[in-house]
This record gives sequence, C-alpha cells and structure tokens, in this order.
Amino acid sequence: MISELTRGERRLALAVLTAVATFGLALAIAGRGDILAVHGGLIMASAVILMFFVIAGFYAPEPGEERLAQYYDTPTKAGVVLAMIWGVIGMGVGDWVAWLLVYPDMTFDAAWASFGRLRPVHTSGVIFGFGGNALIATSFHVLQRTSRARLPDQFSPWFVLVGYNLFCLIAASGYLLGITQSKEYAEPEWYADLWLVVVWVVYFSIYLRTLMRRQEPHIYVANWYYMAFILVVAILHIVNNLAVPISFGSAKSYSAFSGVQDAMTQWWYGHNAVAFFLTAGFLGMMYYYLPKRAGRPVFSYRMSILGFWGITFMYMWAGSHHLHYTALPQWVQTLGMTFSIMLIVPSWMAAANALLTLNGAWHKVRDDATLRFMMLAAVFYGLSTFEGSFMSIRAVNSLSHYTDWTVGHVHAGALGWVALITFGSIYAVVPWVWKRPAMYSNKLVEVHFWLSLAGTLVYVFAMWNSGIIQGLMWRTYNEGGTLAYSFIDSLVAMRPYYIARAIGGLLFVIGAVVGLYNVWMTIREASAERADAPDAPVVPALARSLQAGE
Amino acid sequence: MIDHDTLVAFSKSYGLFYLMAMAITVVAYTFWPSNKERFEEAAKSIIDDEDTPCR
Amino acid sequence: MFGIHQKLERNAIGFVVAIIVVSSIGGFMEIAPLFTIDETVEEAPDMRVYTPLELAGRNIYIREGCYACHSQMIRTLRDEVERYGPYSLAVESKYDHPMLWGSKRTGPDLARIGGKYSDAWHVAHLINPRDVVPESIMPAYRWLAETPLKVNDLSDHLAAQRVVGVPYTDEMIANATADAYGQAMPDGPFAAGVTARYGEATNVRAFDGKPERVSEMDALVAYLQVLGRLTDAAHQQTASTEGAKP
Repeated sequence: MISELTRGERRLALAVLTAVATFGLALAIAGRGDILAVHGGLIMASAVILMFFVIAGFYAPEPGEERLAQYYDTPTKAGVVLAMIWGVIGMGVGDWVAWLLVYPDMTFDAAWASFGRLRPVHTSGVIFGFGGNALIATSFHVLQRTSRARLPDQFSPWFVLVGYNLFCLIAASGYLLGITQSKEYAEPEWYADLWLVVVWVVYFSIYLRTLMRRQEPHIYVANWYYMAFILVVAILHIVNNLAVPISFGSAKSYSAFSGVQDAMTQWWYGHNAVAFFLTAGFLGMMYYYLPKRAGRPVFSYRMSILGFWGITFMYMWAGSHHLHYTALPQWVQTLGMTFSIMLIVPSWMAAANALLTLNGAWHKVRDDATLRFMMLAAVFYGLSTFEGSFMSIRAVNSLSHYTDWTVGHVHAGALGWVALITFGSIYAVVPWVWKRPAMYSNKLVEVHFWLSLAGTLVYVFAMWNSGIIQGLMWRTYNEGGTLAYSFIDSLVAMRPYYIARAIGGLLFVIGAVVGLYNVWMTIREASAERADAPDAPVVPALARSLQAGE
Repeated sequence: MIDHDTLVAFSKSYGLFYLMAMAITVVAYTFWPSNKERFEEAAKSIIDDEDTPCR
Repeated sequence: MFGIHQKLERNAIGFVVAIIVVSSIGGFMEIAPLFTIDETVEEAPDMRVYTPLELAGRNIYIREGCYACHSQMIRTLRDEVERYGPYSLAVESKYDHPMLWGSKRTGPDLARIGGKYSDAWHVAHLINPRDVVPESIMPAYRWLAETPLKVNDLSDHLAAQRVVGVPYTDEMIANATADAYGQAMPDGPFAAGVTARYGEATNVRAFDGKPERVSEMDALVAYLQVLGRLTDAAHQQTASTEGAKP
C-alpha cells in the first residue's frame, strides 16, 4: 500500500506520523501520574509502528501516471475489513454484556469487565467501529463512481481511515480504563474528540475536492446523504463535546453544559447521531448499492430528494422526545414530539422508494441473498421509524421510556436496518473492488442472512415483551391504591427475556463471524489468483457483469 | 430577556412563513418540469457507468 | 429561482451551506432559548455545590458507567413520584456537568437515594449487591473499598468546575484536598473546615466505616448519600402542588 503513494506523499506521511508521535509523547509526559499517559503512549506507539511501515516501503518504485485512469479503492478495501473486524468485536462485546445481565458475577472482580465499562465498548464498537468504517469505506467507493473522478490524492484517504481507527481505539481502550465523559454515544474524552475533529475536516475536504473535480454535472443523491452525514455529525460532535479539561495533563474534563441544557444538548446530539450517523449515511449506501445490485434505477429520484430535505430539517428537532415528563420545559418536549411524528413521512419515503425500486426485480431478491439483505434492511427501516414516531408520543413514551422497549427499538434499527444494509453493501462491494465474480461462498451469505434475520427477530421480540411488562409493572396499582410491584419484582420478571435476548444476539454475532470469514476467504482467493497470473490484465467487465445480480 | 411568550409569537409569525416557504421551495424544486429529465438521467447514470474515472 | 438551485447544486460549497443552514435550525430553536428563558430553571436559594469528596464520588459513578443502568430523573408521573419521591426539578442538576439523568432503568432511579439507606448498606451493596438484594443483577465493585481515592488533583477539578459555571470560591478550591480528607475523617483535623465551607448539613462521616483513610468507596457513598439532598426545592414544590398532578 505504501507503493501506491507518491514519493512526496510518503514524505508527507512520515511528517504527519512524526507530528502524531510527538503529540502522543507530549500527552504521555504531561499526563504522567494520570491515566492519560497510557493513551499518550498508545498514540505514540501507533504512530511509530506506522512509521516503520512507511520507511520499509519508502524506496519502492513510485506509482505511474496510469494510476489516474483507475479509481483508488485500496482504502475502501481496508475500511471494509476494519468494519467487519470491529463489527465482530462490537457485537461480540454486546452479546457478552447481554449475558452479564443474566449472570452478573462473570466480571472476574476486574473493574474493566463490569457492565458499565463494557457497555460503551459495545456501543462505540458497533456505531463508530463497525458503522463508521463501513461509511468511510463505502463513501469513498460511491463518491468516485458517481463523480466519475478518482480521489484527489493517495494520502488523505489513508489519513482519514487510520486516524479514525486510532480514535476508535482510544475510545474503546479508554472505557476499559475508566475514561469516559458519560455522555451516551459521545463518551470519549476531550483529546480524542479534538483528534476526531482533525480527521473529520480531512474527510470532508476529500469529499469536496472530489466533487469539485467530478465529471457528472449532477451530484448523485447518495452523495447528498453522505455529505449531510459528514457535516451534521461535525456540528453535533463539536457542540455536544464542548468541555473544559481539568488540566492538559489529565484525561478528565467537565462538560460546558449542565443540567437541563446539557440534557437537551446531549439528546439533540444523541438522537441526531441516530439520524445522521445511523440513518443519513446508510441511506447514502442504500441509494447507491440497492439500485446497482438490482440493476434498476431508483424508483423515484424525486422522492429521494424530498426525503433528503425532510430528514435533514426535521430530525434536528426530534431529540427532546427523549426527555418527556422530565424537568425539560414542556414546550420543548411538545416540539420534539411533533417533529418526531412528522418524520414518519420522509422516513417512509425512503423505505418505500427502496422497496418500489425492487419492483420487477423480485426474482433477484429471491435468488440473491445480498439483495435480500438490502431489501430486509429497508423493511426494518420502515418498521423502526414507525415505531420511533410512535414511541415519541408522550403517552406511549410514559410507558416505554427507561424500559427495554427502547433497547428493542434501537436494535430493530441497529441490527435490522444499519447492520443489514451494511452487510448487503459489503457483499456487493467486496467482489467488486477485489475484482472477483462473486463472494467466496454464496451459501455462507445465505447462512449469514438467515442468522441475522433470526437473531434480530428474537432480540426485538424479547425486548418488546420485557419492556412492556416492565413498564406495566412499574405503574400497576393494587386495589388498596398502592404500587403493586417492587422494582425487584420487575427485575425478576425480566430474566427469561434477558436470556432470550442474549441468544438472539448470539445468533447475530455468529452471522457476523461467518461474514468476516467469507470476506476474508474472498480476499484470499483474489490474492491467490493474482499470484498465479501476475501479468494477467484486469478485467473490470467481470466485476460489472456481477452487478446485474446474476 | 427572551421569555416563552416572545418565542411563541416569533414561531407563530415568522416561523410559520419560513417553514412554509422552505417546504414549498423543496417541493417546487423537486417537481419542476424542467428538472425531470436531469433527475431521471441521474438515477440511470449509476446503473450504466463504467468502472474507470473520466479523464 | 431554479437557476439558483441548479447553480447551488453544481457548486458543492453552496450545497454544503444549504445543508448546514437547514439542519441547524432545529437545534438552535430548541437549545438556545433554554439558556435565555428564565423560567427554565427554578430558583433554589438553598442549593449547594458538591463537596470535593462528593464530586470525586460522582466521577467514580461516571467512570464505572453507573448511568447506563440508573437514571437520576423522576418524571412527573404518579407512579414514579410514589415509588421514588418528588419529581425532579431542573435546578437540582444545575451544577451537574454533565447531567446524569440517564435513559434506562435496568436498576432503580437514584435521584432521591440520598439518606434512604445507611452507609453500611451501601458499602455492603457495592461490595456484593447479592448479599443485600439476592435478586440483584448489578456488578460487584469490591475493589472500591481497597482503592485509595486520588485526592491530590481535586483543586484542579474544582477550578475547572468554576470555569464552566459552578460557584466554587477560592477558599473551596484551595482547600479541596483537605476537605476531601476532612469529610471522610470526622475526627480528623480537617473535618471542621468542611462544614464551615459547605454548610452544617453536610455529611461528615467515615462512609466506608474506616475513618483512618479515604477510599474510593468513601467518595462514591458520600455522593450517593447526597443525591436529591443538595436542595429542598423539590419537596417544597410537591407540597405546594399536592394533588394537582395526575
């Protein structure tokens, strides 16, 4: 991969890595005596290892001008593999903590192994590690194809990908060490947050520079969604993470906001992380890979535009539905509920658009598990956005809030929508960029599909049951007018559902492992073939013919 | 100091017109007859693009 | 008009600006007024700040991710008020940077846990929850009792809190470490300073039952015991609106 960088880019890479290593060293020195030193060391070590890597390839021959006649897909390849690895880790930890709720003594008396520290490893691992890497990898792929332009250079995509994974690594290791801001889905501390801003600026600049060089007059709608994802996540991240560190030698910081303002800011962030990280970006994926795989243009391009502006505008109001009946002023709660209900319109536009695109291609859906992943993702997207609007209604929320129903809803979206569209897109993109006629095993894709579907259904049904039972038990009165159940009564009633949920999660994790294996074997086949015939001409047509879904 | 009443007054006047104007703009843009062709072209363009960049 | 939009679309920067403008409105309209509308946060003249020991305990609560399973926000619903106590007011978390309202009750709400159980109960519960609540699924936190609390940087903590708006005085910041010792060592030389600075009602006790040293257990229990007790405003509010709430 170093051989793909020009000499100038290799020098730039060394310079950047030196700067990062110095930054890590500075953190380690400033933070001696604090847990921050561990992260300083981690940053420095990562940079130094990468420096060796760059130096080892420094004198390899430079890539020729002919590279400009090809898209630059190596970062996409790396991103796909990273996404699958993070997926297995993040989902695996998720299932582990699910079992912790059944067997709470499986913590080995170690601080890092308790539920509270492992849970953010799960959430960040799947959202940022799995989802984020998949978004970055596919966005580079889609951006080049729809713009008919190559990425602007070879260095910056690597900076984004490696820098982003360094952020994920700092985040996940930090939780185990006890470093967290406690803001849900924004747990990493100030130095990690600042680093992510740097990475994000470069990510955005890649997008802009490629779009400016595009050969198509119109920006394809998938890029709109990817751009909204990049931009709005930047806004959310910066505002919600405003904080004052207690010193530059400490990992600890205090949020700039407090109390009710902080709650509103946090859920404005939290809900729009769902909207712009877990929805907009993945809609971008859907609007490219689904029509491509089905071999049919999107059913209504106009609907995708309307949906885009609807989602971009309305989601940002919806966060306050997380705070019904709290100390947040009621006018804000009402606004949040109103927009949450209206959101059903753009959301269902997207879901319907995806399903209607498949009209005339249902035979492909039947035969091709990859397309079926995407189809099912659209179905779950429709279901969970409906459920979300429903749960934002104050009266419903009074029952569902604080219960497992919320957890079930999140997973209907995260497993059913985000993970399935990602797996579908990955199965579409892997043979494409590795120039293979198909995945290593279509049968394993099929196995993965059914494991995912079964796992999601078991999970969601378990959480619906437990959440609604829990909510009802908390508000049940006996004839004497006093509360009928103690909190512990409701906890005991949850146990069978927690077991079912953990089993559902396990099915899903096994599916992800099967997926990783399949991706890995496809790559091995590709490299074996290249080793057999090093001078064989690349046949892009081969990859294309597969896109028709045959 | 802004209080709740000023906010409500603002929302019911300017806010209302602003929202309607924005919605109309988006809908009109989407359904403007002369845009139809461009959109259909864009939708089709991803299906039959070649796997190399334009130079 | 549509010439403009076409140009906008051709020009990626214009498109970027449009996305930023359209998406920023919602958050701005909902968040900014919360800072300017006076009624958002109630007045509570008796509201006090966390002592250094309580703040350290709060940071342990954050570090261990307790907020993932315990809320600190009692909603204005009859069953919640009857189960947990008076519903939470905005003012009660006005010094909480960040707030810990939580989003899930795998365990019960803790907004009014302060004073509900004895220190000894909390210590036993944290060492092994199943010793006192057999059905509990909470992790055990045995090491808290054996880990000495890090107190040497508490002045920095208070100073940073003051930067974000918590009214700690110079004296409080200067004496942060001594006050942490004092609050957990009732017979030691620093105990008097704690009540002098944070009020007579402050809990000054050997929270973990071992007055000779300050452990993380001391800090966490001190924090749990002050939850819901920084101000009396919620109890007064409930008394004055008794029966009015559904």
